[in-house]
Amino acid sequence: MISIQHVSKEYQLGMVASGSFRQTITDSFNFLSNIKKPKKTFLALNDVSFDIDDGDVVGIIGRNGAGKSTLLKILSRITEPTKGRIELNGRVASLLEVGTGFHPELTGRENIFLNGSILGMSRQEIKSKFDDIVAFSGVADFLDTPVKRYSSGMYVRLAFAVAAYLEPEILVIDEVLSVGDAEFQKKCLGKMGEVARGGRTVLFVSHNMGAVRTLCNKVIVLNQGQVIFQGSVEDGVNKYLEIANENTSDQGEVSWDLEHAIGKEEMKLTKVQLLDDEKNCRATFSTAEEITLKVEYFLEKEVRNIRINLRVLTGDDLILFSSSSHNSEPTIKPKGHHSCTISFPKHLFNNGVYKIWLQAGSPGYKELLTEQVYLKFFTEKYTSSGSMKDADLPGQIAPILNWNID
Amino acid sequence: MSKIVIEPSKGIRLDLKEIIQYRELLWTLTYRDIRVKYAQTAVGFAWAIVNPLFTLVILSFVFGSVANIQVTGEGGVPIPHIIYTMAGLCGWQYFSEVLSQASSSIIGAQNMVKKIYFPRLVIPLSKALTAFIDFAIVLIIMVICMLIYQFTPSSNIIFFPLFFLIAVISGLAAGIWMSALTIRFRDFQHITPLLLRVGMYATPIAYPASKVPEAYQGLYYLNPMAGVVEGMRWCIIGGDQLNNYAYYSFAGILVLFLLGIIYFKRVERIMADIL
Repeated sequence: MISIQHVSKEYQLGMVASGSFRQTITDSFNFLSNIKKPKKTFLALNDVSFDIDDGDVVGIIGRNGAGKSTLLKILSRITEPTKGRIELNGRVASLLEVGTGFHPELTGRENIFLNGSILGMSRQEIKSKFDDIVAFSGVADFLDTPVKRYSSGMYVRLAFAVAAYLEPEILVIDEVLSVGDAEFQKKCLGKMGEVARGGRTVLFVSHNMGAVRTLCNKVIVLNQGQVIFQGSVEDGVNKYLEIANENTSDQGEVSWDLEHAIGKEEMKLTKVQLLDDEKNCRATFSTAEEITLKVEYFLEKEVRNIRINLRVLTGDDLILFSSSSHNSEPTIKPKGHHSCTISFPKHLFNNGVYKIWLQAGSPGYKELLTEQVYLKFFTEKYTSSGSMKDADLPGQIAPILNWNID
Repeated sequence: MSKIVIEPSKGIRLDLKEIIQYRELLWTLTYRDIRVKYAQTAVGFAWAIVNPLFTLVILSFVFGSVANIQVTGEGGVPIPHIIYTMAGLCGWQYFSEVLSQASSSIIGAQNMVKKIYFPRLVIPLSKALTAFIDFAIVLIIMVICMLIYQFTPSSNIIFFPLFFLIAVISGLAAGIWMSALTIRFRDFQHITPLLLRVGMYATPIAYPASKVPEAYQGLYYLNPMAGVVEGMRWCIIGGDQLNNYAYYSFAGILVLFLLGIIYFKRVERIMADIL
């Protein structure tokens, strides 16, 4: 059982902790002369309490910055809580990122032992599970090759395989499943299910509501460092979708006047809207029409190489595809109002709900617009005149393909 | 099944038991370092020989041939300067290897530190173990030099392991301090190489500590390695008994070592947050 009681974690903002020696010295003098600089702090977790029973597979969900990762870090003892107390039984293994401690120059075999002992396995334990690990990873032929020659897929498979055989009492997983190919992901999900059925506890942080639905039997929703929901998966996921879409309009348009416009630094987003062929703003479209996304923004001064990134998400927040205004030519945009349009071709979407996610920045320099979902839209598939009722074909997209039949 | 309680820590607990629990990780990290450094290429191994050899030749040339410092062994018998320098260099070489590797070790392992729990002290400890290989190489060079010059070591040699142990503690003390300070204040990244460069000359490697004017002797022995290097050389070539200051500096090393662990433990709590 894991019992979390009133846990808070406070971070100091700015360069206070890892500052320069000079700063610490001047700060101490300030202290002597009684000048107090107000310290800016940030509560990543604010009085979090909950209990988890043995054998539960708990999904921890919340928006970016809700405190999920901080909670996992505290549970896996990487960082200490500022307040509160946690009691747990057994070994905690965290897969905050698989492959930690892998050394590129060492062979697959050596890295299994290295990674295993970093994760807390004894040499004896690793030896006894070695064959299983190799079989699970599927890289048996490359065991004596340095991992720097591995493809990224092989690398991840080997890393996950070591972690999967750790057999801890409590397994903490943070978004590992976003890597690897579909078949391997399935294998990983299977392994997690196996761990859970073996009576061990799994804490699973993910933005993938599909995976949370299939794997978890309980959900905890975090928002701004606080637990806002704990209980059944279905209600939890709905609660999450509710808060995740707080700023999202389903009217086909969001706009702000310049004063309230969203943006960091010199970029101000003023309008995001979806348009049909006749430039009418709508939120519901037929899959047979072209949909145009129009983004309007204001630049307070000249900006170099601005890049706008777009993602189209499914109703469950899975990324359907991404696109970017990236252009290899360097560009300079002058101060003033700008806009861009992106067209989605006909017959791309299926019957369903989709979301528009945007982010912008000047690559390698700074972020101008933090990532956020702005619009939600609906598509309806009208049955064609044919006899086949194709409105209900499963899938996230429904392109029209050319079938050549002999 | 072990019960774990996670709470904000109060006070300092050294928790040596935990480090013993994690000894396999210590071996593995040491093995990794050695493997990556030496076993990878033939060149890597060659560098481990070339580096001390060049230092030896330069120091011996500058102090022995240019400054013409006469050195004596048991009963005031003159001995080849190169043997004298080698006997001084072996301890210093080990110390400087441990200090330079350990001071940047936590930053180098930040991926691990930020993702997995283990006693962080294991990282600098593994550097002290890895440097054993370099020390062994230097000892081999020394034995070859002795064979060439047909030099027989003093019977004091039985104390050599004791002085080597002090060198290990001294290297760890400095390494642990610098690794913790480097995380806390990045400025210290630049201080370690500076300390090593000054230390190279402020340590009696190629000249006897007795050459240092009496008035500066106290100051001179503030360098923890001064006593250790003198001691290791006394084991190899014999000669005058150790200066009293040397014994004070051994006590100082021990205090520095314990304080270093305490400071490291304090920084350990916030390590993952500030890396």
